[in-house]
Amino acid sequence: MNSVDCPHEQLVVNAVLTGRWPESCDASLVAHAKECATCREIANVSLLLREDNDHSRFEMHVPAAGQVWWRAAVRARLESTHAATRPITWMHGITAAIVLGMMLAALTALWPMMPDVMNVVRAIGRDYLPSPEVASALAGGLRQSLMIGAIAAALLVLTPLALYFVLSDD
Amino acid sequence: MREFALTDMERLGAFDEADRTFQMTEEAFRVFYELTARPVRVYLARMTGDDRLADDLLQETYYRFLRANVAFDSDDHRKNYLFRIATNLVHDHRRKPFMEIPSAVIPDVPDAAAAARNAERAARRLDLHRAMDRLKPRERSMLWLAYAQGWSHEEIASAIGVKTASLKAMLHRARQRLLKSLNTGGRS
Repeated sequence: MNSVDCPHEQLVVNAVLTGRWPESCDASLVAHAKECATCREIANVSLLLREDNDHSRFEMHVPAAGQVWWRAAVRARLESTHAATRPITWMHGITAAIVLGMMLAALTALWPMMPDVMNVVRAIGRDYLPSPEVASALAGGLRQSLMIGAIAAALLVLTPLALYFVLSDD
Repeated sequence: MREFALTDMERLGAFDEADRTFQMTEEAFRVFYELTARPVRVYLARMTGDDRLADDLLQETYYRFLRANVAFDSDDHRKNYLFRIATNLVHDHRRKPFMEIPSAVIPDVPDAAAAARNAERAARRLDLHRAMDRLKPRERSMLWLAYAQGWSHEEIASAIGVKTASLKAMLHRARQRLLKSLNTGGRS
């Protein structure tokens, strides 16, 4: 037997926890505990903890079993609902990303055609408007409007998408 | 950030679903709960030193237990698993620095001698709570399971996740620290 271990310690604990220590338990065990520092220490600690445990169990309020069951059932239902909607959330995100990608691709493809479109607009202006200065000014204005329109359209798509990803909990 | 809310009908439906989702029926749970709730609640209160946190952890402990997909071979195995969940939950909260000392309720006493006994007992328990609060969470768990619940070394080792061979020395150190703290009135 070493100083941290004694084969009788579980017997001492059992005697304390069943209320038999020291009067109603085996006299030889009590005699052993007087000689064994480990068992004496264990008996002291166990008596203290048992007293606290007994009083705490008596004083302590625990919620009713039905209440705990009900809360657990509702939470399980919430979690299953959440898990069921997760694929839909992912699908929304993927769809939005595809739409954004297609819009950017279309814008990239159409951007080189802008000077040609402007030339056509200028030519129409030359033919139908009274002076070349007015036609040139109109074409310039139209080009600016198209750029502002493209930026506004991109923002209109990007802002809801950004909000969607920020507010989404997935 | 998205909130899910259940309608009253869904809440009622949750009861039917619970019997399928959880590992035991409501009736079986009620029996098991009556046997284990108080020991687990006291254990949680002693481990955390915070009654409100202990209430929250009690609910969480039983929720995780009900959702556990474990084949239990005995009532002891079931009970040990429950305490293991409680122990893990407490250790998850162990970074909280402040430990509230639970207030001991002293009942009305009929005479002076009984009043003195109760006062002495309350003081002893308060000293114990203070000394326990100064121990590491794992030491508190070990001591409580060993000397308030009477668990075997194997059961404790399994519940707190250490080797059985290491447990004896750890228990010895924890006992020494508790007694030292008690002898110095918690001034360690």
